[in-house]
Amino acid sequence: MTSSPTRSTGRRQRGALLWNGLSLPGAILLIVVFVAPIVYLVLASFGTSDILGRPTFANGFTLRNFENAFADYNLPLVLRTVAYAGIATILCIVLGYSVAYFAARFGGRFGLAIIALVLVPWLVDYLVRIYGWRTIAVDNGLVNSVLGGLGLGPVHLLGTPGMVILGLVYGYLPLMVLPIYASLGQLNPEVIDAGKDLYGNPWSTFWHVTFPLTREGVVGGVLLVFLPILGDFATAQFLGGPDTTMIGNVISDQFISAGSQPLGAAMTTVLIVGLLAAIAFASLAGRRRNAAAVI
Amino acid sequence: MAPGSRRRQRAGAPVFLWVIVVAVMVLLYAPILVVAVYSFNGADSLVQLNGWSLQWYGQVFQDEQIRSSFAQSLQIAAISSVVSTVLGTAMAIGLRHATPWLRRLGGGSVLIRLISPETATAVALFLLLGLVQIPLSFVTVLIGHVALSLAFVVVIVRSRLVAIGPDIEDAAMDLGATPAKAVWLAVVPLLAPSILVSALLSFILSFGNFVTSFFLTGIGTTPLPLWIYSSLRFGVSPVVNALGMIMLALMIVVALVAALLLRWNSRRRS
Repeated sequence: MTSSPTRSTGRRQRGALLWNGLSLPGAILLIVVFVAPIVYLVLASFGTSDILGRPTFANGFTLRNFENAFADYNLPLVLRTVAYAGIATILCIVLGYSVAYFAARFGGRFGLAIIALVLVPWLVDYLVRIYGWRTIAVDNGLVNSVLGGLGLGPVHLLGTPGMVILGLVYGYLPLMVLPIYASLGQLNPEVIDAGKDLYGNPWSTFWHVTFPLTREGVVGGVLLVFLPILGDFATAQFLGGPDTTMIGNVISDQFISAGSQPLGAAMTTVLIVGLLAAIAFASLAGRRRNAAAVI
Repeated sequence: MAPGSRRRQRAGAPVFLWVIVVAVMVLLYAPILVVAVYSFNGADSLVQLNGWSLQWYGQVFQDEQIRSSFAQSLQIAAISSVVSTVLGTAMAIGLRHATPWLRRLGGGSVLIRLISPETATAVALFLLLGLVQIPLSFVTVLIGHVALSLAFVVVIVRSRLVAIGPDIEDAAMDLGATPAKAVWLAVVPLLAPSILVSALLSFILSFGNFVTSFFLTGIGTTPLPLWIYSSLRFGVSPVVNALGMIMLALMIVVALVAALLLRWNSRRRS
């Protein structure tokens, strides 16, 4: 048997051309389409903008874009974005964990069907669903006609922070349910029963046994929800107002309308660095060193 | 503790859990229900309902712009689904035995893709295309979609490969197969379900994609989500409701076909 590893290594070396050839096209595509552009984006954030707003290095490299990105008038924007993303993520954890736990522990043979029910809305175009929310929440919309029928005053929903956060929770909740459901599936029910014998109270059992054992699923869900929300711009654009702008809106304005692309690049760079910090924090919070593996 | 009491403990979910689950389902389906109801609205209103009518569906099929957007979205979704599934499956199979530097490079770029927000990767590609002066077009949208789905395909196929174990190629080669034959005859058939799921997911992701298309599209290319975006910006129209329902029907058909194929595949194996 001692010769077996060398034998198979020899075979693999003979197939090396095949293995490398199979992986190369995809790897090249990812590097050209994702890695190289991000490298250039970081570079462009140190440039200045020409007449059309495009990055140029004719005037050398500057830190001004970062100074502008961190200027006092941008601070509320950053804080607001992080706050919205944080609140939406916490709500997603509470709601997503409940649904996943319900499906895994009480769903029985309908467990997967419950998860499918969470996923089906994804098949409806995101903007169409946002549009559905507008129909519900607009000043003369469904909510207010129901309230009016009850003799209650009209409430202003569109453009409020609450509406944007609702839209974010709505859009990203399935991404929280999936990893938590997966980690609950790996949980041995006997462990929970043992926990009940130890602690008795269902809440302490949950806090001391179930939740810690599914922490990886939660961390994976947080990465899948919190990170994309930081870059989201469609939700705030259609459900928010002038006071609920998020970083994503300001970034997309720099590129689509005639803004300053280097400023947009700098803000995106800040976003990416923030994400890396969040991931590093998450991998500390998760038990495994490589928390990204949860994805 | 008696076995009986343990069974009782498992019997039902606490009331508050029921409340949350029902509330989540209402939250998830409320806007879709609204869109569905209003798509049959007889009145030209986003608020009042007045009788039933199929007028908005009629308008969807008559509108030249919607039809061309629909065709473009279908083409982009179909091509990017095939290309990303082929490239991603090959990449996942190859990376297992590729030289270490390539394995790190490939795995690393998949990871970078998965953790970067779509807005960031899309504006970055937008910038680079500007630098090398490639005009935005159908092709740039397509490339963006392929690369977007590719990472998901690699993850899905790789998780299946991990479950299969690394010895299957070795076993086939021990029986005299060349490496290429080992992959084609031993590995790929075992991957069939995850390849199908990958293709389905890529199709759905591409068909509904908004962010990447938003930054990478050029004049003359308007995938459906972008058409919906502009119609939401410039005066809303009930046509969007009907269009949303038609897109949903198409996605359900795609998902059902995939489910049937999966079932057929597992029957054939057993």
